[in-house]
Amino acid sequence: MAATDEVYLGYTTDEATTPFFREFLDALAEETLMKSVCTECGREYLPPREYCQDDLSKCELKEFKEREAKLYSYTIVDFAPETLSSKAPYVVGIGEFPSGLRLTAHITNLMSVPEVGMDMKLAFDEVDERLVTYKWLV
Amino acid sequence: MMARKVGVVAAGHAKFGKRLDATMRELSAEAYKPIYDAGITQDMIDATVLSYAASQFTGQGAGSALIADYLGLHDKPHLRVESACTTGTASLRAAWGMVSAGLYDTMLVLGVEQMNRVSSAKATEYMSQAGDMRWEYPYGISFPAFYALMASRYMAEYDLPHEVLSKISVKSHHYGAQNPYAHLPRTVTVEEAHNSVPITRPLNLYDCSLISDGAAAVIIAAEEKAKELTDEPMWIKGIGAGASSMMIQDRDSLTSIPGAKTAAKAAYEMAGVGPEDIDMAQVHDCFTIAELIAYEDLGFAEPGEGRELIENKEVYHDGAIPVNCDGGLKSKGHPLGATGVSMVYEIYSQMRGEAKEPSRQIDDVQIGLAHNVGQSGQFVNIFILERGW
Ligand SMILES: [Zn+2]
Repeated sequence: MAATDEVYLGYTTDEATTPFFREFLDALAEETLMKSVCTECGREYLPPREYCQDDLSKCELKEFKEREAKLYSYTIVDFAPETLSSKAPYVVGIGEFPSGLRLTAHITNLMSVPEVGMDMKLAFDEVDERLVTYKWLV
Repeated sequence: MMARKVGVVAAGHAKFGKRLDATMRELSAEAYKPIYDAGITQDMIDATVLSYAASQFTGQGAGSALIADYLGLHDKPHLRVESACTTGTASLRAAWGMVSAGLYDTMLVLGVEQMNRVSSAKATEYMSQAGDMRWEYPYGISFPAFYALMASRYMAEYDLPHEVLSKISVKSHHYGAQNPYAHLPRTVTVEEAHNSVPITRPLNLYDCSLISDGAAAVIIAAEEKAKELTDEPMWIKGIGAGASSMMIQDRDSLTSIPGAKTAAKAAYEMAGVGPEDIDMAQVHDCFTIAELIAYEDLGFAEPGEGRELIENKEVYHDGAIPVNCDGGLKSKGHPLGATGVSMVYEIYSQMRGEAKEPSRQIDDVQIGLAHNVGQSGQFVNIFILERGW
């Protein structure tokens, strides 16, 4: 279930994998979402980053357990970039957790136009046998 | 040494559109030609900043060398500056620095983009690569999607109906229809704009700027040289620049662009003026929501009250603060690297009374403002320009 260099999260990008990012992806493959926490100042990041923005110290990955969030903003993408043309229309939502951390992902089970402020739950989705991604459900 | 005063002394503009008759080379020549005809020949230009935002569109490496050579600027130092949709004004900012510092007296700033050699889906793909490639791009967040995320938040926070955004589109097309350089010079009604096909809901086709080809150019010169070259210089009175977080989810607010507010404050301070002193503005309306947010970020309206300016037609050419009376990016077009230079071109033309169609000429422009936003606000440049005659 380890992620490969070619395929991340949802789809293909050209950005290279690093050991830190691979650890994130491997956890995701086990349906565990990781945030990062600065080893110096304790600042938390979601999605995670390897270096803290404030003091450039290293961060470490820690399990992120919140699942309930509210929709902060959304868009329904009808006209997609070329690589995602076959998947349109799809919905992108920014969810805000009670802790204030936010996450950007697809909302996958909508039956109507989303509403800012509505409740969402974070879930996981197996894209293929090598790749699991996170998504929003309403 | 004090920074030298710098002015715009000449400007040129290529026809924006789906220019399959031209490439970056010909578009560049088309923009420089009126400047040459006005008497500013290659030997009078000390150095250039030549700009295009995305080399993926052409595949040409070292494009500034190609363009400099094509324009006959032999042995003139040149430079490319890139900052997405603000590439044109970033180039002007860089050139201003060199002229004001005394490195050069006269510089050409030329912005160009050729986007229609690839499909719209491919162009959308290239532009979405300006999002975070690890955390945003894989979710298919196209360039219009970033602004749709702002629009849905703005509409929810301020209870804004989509029809207000459509009215901004109607204004843009009203003026674009009168601009000979515009890509889509035709009018549109509120109903047509409101009911057009969805692109990235809540934004639809008439909320989105165009994928265009085009070029624009200006010549800037230090004060003494400027006065030699023209009786009608337009002084660069204030420059402000700002930046916002890379990931749109990390911003405190999606109802304004933080970097634009920083840039506006800096530009107003440097120029010693306030929003009430601005006679006309060219704002970055890559999407209708962007224009609405610009009214507020620039201080023309309080937060949440920008809608009053469009609903009361205060942003028309005879209103309190005319905005984008050239059609804006929506109707004139948005060839990325050319856009910011085109904004400055429009202010210069309006000051000189050369807007051609009297129904879009703004009366007595003394001070103009150009507001140029890159990507979804990661780059912002604002110029305040003053009539020097
Ligand atoms: Zn830290």
